Amino acid sequence: MSASRRNQVPMAVWQVLLGAVLLLGWEAGAKTGVLQPFFFSRPSDVLARVWKMVAGGGIWEHLAATVAEASLSFLIGVSGGVVFGFLLARNRFLGDLFDPYIRIVNALPRVVLAPIFLLWFGLGIWSKVALGVTVVFFIVFFNTFQGVREVDPVMVNNARMLGASERQLIRHVLIPSALTWIFSSLHISIGFAIIAVVVGEYLGSSRGIGYLISQAEGVFDTTGVFAGMAILAGVVLAVGALVDRLERYLLRWKARDSDAARGGVS
Amino acid sequence: MNGSPGGTAIRFQGVTKRFPGYTAVQNISLEAREGSFLSVVGPSGCGKSTLLNMAAGLTQPSEGAVEIFGKPLTGINASAGYMFQQDALLPWKTVRGNILLGPELRGADAGQAEQSAREWIRRTGLEGFADRYPHQLSGGMRKRVAMAQTWIVNPDIVLMDEPFGALDVHTRLRMEGEILALWAGSRKTVMFVTHDLEEAIALSDEVAVLSAGPASRLVGVYQVGLERPRNLIDIKTDPRFVEIYRSIWGDLREEVLKSYERIQA
Ligand SMILES: Nc1ncnc2c1ncn2[C@@H]1O[C@H](COP(=O)(O)OP(=O)(O)OP(=O)(O)O)[C@@H](O)[C@H]1O
Ligand SMILES: [Mg+2]
Repeated sequence: MSASRRNQVPMAVWQVLLGAVLLLGWEAGAKTGVLQPFFFSRPSDVLARVWKMVAGGGIWEHLAATVAEASLSFLIGVSGGVVFGFLLARNRFLGDLFDPYIRIVNALPRVVLAPIFLLWFGLGIWSKVALGVTVVFFIVFFNTFQGVREVDPVMVNNARMLGASERQLIRHVLIPSALTWIFSSLHISIGFAIIAVVVGEYLGSSRGIGYLISQAEGVFDTTGVFAGMAILAGVVLAVGALVDRLERYLLRWKARDSDAARGGVS
Repeated sequence: MNGSPGGTAIRFQGVTKRFPGYTAVQNISLEAREGSFLSVVGPSGCGKSTLLNMAAGLTQPSEGAVEIFGKPLTGINASAGYMFQQDALLPWKTVRGNILLGPELRGADAGQAEQSAREWIRRTGLEGFADRYPHQLSGGMRKRVAMAQTWIVNPDIVLMDEPFGALDVHTRLRMEGEILALWAGSRKTVMFVTHDLEEAIALSDEVAVLSAGPASRLVGVYQVGLERPRNLIDIKTDPRFVEIYRSIWGDLREEVLKSYERIQA
C-alpha cells in the first residue's frame, strides 16, 4: 500500500523537499537569531556568494585546479587499483606476499602523509594528486581484488572448457564480473579523491577550492567557507551522476530492482 | 584428434577422489567407448558430477588416472565440451553472445560462427530470444542456451550433467531427441549424468550405476541392447526396455534406499 503511494510521487521530489526543508530551517534559524549568522552564515548569503564567484569568474581558476587534481588522482588511482587488484587476486603467491604490507599501508591515516607529499612534490598539483592517489588506489584495489576472487568458479570453468586462455578469461569473465564491485568503489572513490585533494590544497597551496576555504577561514568568513563547500558538493553530485550513467550502460545486463529507489538521476 | 575407431574415448582407471575429510568416489574403473553414449546414474551426492569434473580435467583424481583417447589427461580436456549442472552462462552476454562464446574464444570466422549460432538458436527453440540476457529467461531456456553453447564448438566428447532436469516433459522429449540425432550423426562420445533411470536407458548404450556415498563404488555397467534409431515415446513401453529397467532398478533401488536411510539417520 505504501509502495503504490510512493510510486505516485517520484523519490526525487521527496529528496528535493527534504533539502528545501533543511535549508529553510537554517534560513529561519539565522533570521530569528537561533543560529548566530557569524558562526553559521545563512543559505541566502551562501547562495549569493556562490553566484558572485561563478558570475564574477573568480571561481574557475580554483575549480579547474581542484577538478584537474581530483581527475588525475582518480585516473591514476583507479588504473593502479584495478591492475594490482587483478594481479594479486589471480596470483596466489603475489597476493599472499603483499597482503600484510597492503594492510599496513592502508591502515595509515592519509592526512599525515600530506605534509610529506608537500615536501616531496612541492606546492603544485602533484602533492595533491599523490594524496588523492593513496586514497583512491586502496579503495579500488580492495574492491577489484574481492570482485575477482568472488567470481563464480562454474563460470570460469565453463569458459575454460570452451577454450578460454588466461587473457580471454580476464576479458570475458573476470573483468565483467568484477565490474559490479569496481563500480561500487568508483562512486566512493570519486568522493574521496575530491576530499583528499581539497585537504591537500587546504594544507598548502595557492589555488583550488581547498585554498579558497582556508583563506575564508583565515578571516572568519563563514559564508565563504560554506560557499566553497556548496561548490564542492555540486561538483561531487555532477561527477556522481556521470558515473551513474556509465554504470547503467556498462551494467545494463543486470536485473535491477526499482530504478525509482535510486533517486532517478538522468 | 580421435584415436582408432572403436577405441576408448574416456577411461577411468581405479579412480579415487578425496576431498578434505570426505571420500567422494572410491576405486572406480569405467570406460566409454569411442562414439558410444554412456549414462551415469546414482543417488544424489554419490559423486556423479565429481566423475565428470575429472573427465573434463577440472579436478585431478587423488588416486588412479583418467585417459582420454588413450592418453593420460593432464590439465583441461581440450577435446571435451561440458554442460554443467549449475547455471554457467555469462549474465552479461545475450543468448546469442553466450552461444557465440566458444567460437569467439577459439578465434573462429565471425560470419560462419554467426550462421551456426542462428542454426543453434533455431534448434533449441530460442528464436526471438537471441538478444535477451540470461536473467530474462526461464530456467529451462537457460539450459537450452547452455546446450547450444556446449555443442556449437563441436567437441569429440560431450559431458552433460543433468541437462534436462528443469525441463517440462514436452521440451525434454524434444531436447532428448535432438541430442540423439546430433549424436548419431556425429559419432561423438557422450557421458551423460542423470537422476532419471528411464532417461538413462532410453538414451544410452550403457548405463553405469554408482553406489550411495561416501566412498561410492561402481555397482555395475549395464548394456542397453535396444536398436537405434529409437522412438523416445514408444520405447518406454517396449518389453525389453521394461526388463532392462527392472534389472538395473533392482540394484539401484538398494543404493537409493541406503542413501535415504543415511539422510533419515
Ligand atoms: N569441492 C568439494 N569439497 C568437498 N566435498 C565435495 C566437493 N565437491 C563435492 N564434494 C562432495 O562429494 C560428494 C559427491 O559430490 P557430487 O557433486 O559429485 O555428487 P553428485 O552425484 O553429482 O550429486 P547430485 O546428483 O546431487 O548432483 C558430495 O557428498 C559432496 O558433498
Ligand atoms: Mg551433481
